Amino acid sequence: MKYAKWTFIGLLAVILIGFLHYTLPQHDIVRIVGTENRRIDFGENSIFWASPAGGAAQMGNRDVFFIQTQRANGKPMVYRNEDTGWGWPPYFKLDSSNLQTMAQDLVSNKADPLWVSMTHYGWRNEWLSIYPNAVSVKVVSGPDARIIPWFNIVFLILLLVAVLFVRRLWLRFRHRSIDPMFNDGPSDDGAHRRGKRFWGRMGGKNRK
Amino acid sequence: MIAFFRFALPGLAGLTLIYVLIGVYARSLARERLEKAWEDPKTGAASCLTREEFIAQGMRAYKHSLRRKLLVLVYIVPVGVVAILVYVMNYR
Repeated sequence: MKYAKWTFIGLLAVILIGFLHYTLPQHDIVRIVGTENRRIDFGENSIFWASPAGGAAQMGNRDVFFIQTQRANGKPMVYRNEDTGWGWPPYFKLDSSNLQTMAQDLVSNKADPLWVSMTHYGWRNEWLSIYPNAVSVKVVSGPDARIIPWFNIVFLILLLVAVLFVRRLWLRFRHRSIDPMFNDGPSDDGAHRRGKRFWGRMGGKNRK
Repeated sequence: MIAFFRFALPGLAGLTLIYVLIGVYARSLARERLEKAWEDPKTGAASCLTREEFIAQGMRAYKHSLRRKLLVLVYIVPVGVVAILVYVMNYR
């Protein structure tokens, strides 16, 4: 039973971390080598592509912008460049055409490299033919430029605060609204103290 | 435009749920503050009220307090964050 419990918790943790890793923005230092516009036939990987613009027909294929790059470590990375619009994930990106223009403007060759920080979310997976979605591009000083992920720091702290707040909300609700129902008493007076006693009996210690 | 409403309407529904939950929580905190204040001989027993009257009076005051009105921030802050995100993502 212990193994089942921990397998379940581990699975949940993997799903949650994977979800955040896919959705939160990341920065790559890359050199843009080219841009292109390719027609993509979506199949079982369609969940990893943007949903069509509002009002547009649900087609099985669509033209998609791509940005081809070389990373600082010499390995290639290809990004798609699609609007997220008002859908998921909530990047509210509506300027893919502008981003494509900027990327094309920043194309450089090996002899005279121009390094940029490519903000993106998503994963590259060759088996599934999926690409991270480029969100914005910024010129940086060099291939070893240091990027501090401020957004992720703030977001993860706020997420932790939200989780702790929901927990407190629930504990308080249980403490003040559910526990008193299982205690006998003439009125609602002193529900707080009775709740304490209840937990003292249940847990063998005095909880706050 | 349809895409925007498909985002905005469920979003507003979600914010309303959060508003109600935090509202219940904040009211519960206000009530507990009053319960504690009544047990304090300086504020509670000195008021010449029964415990119920003391709490009811305090809750009426809470209803019109700034603290309760600040709950509107539950709507204002996320809408502001989305507006800033749209601006930063597309127009800067």
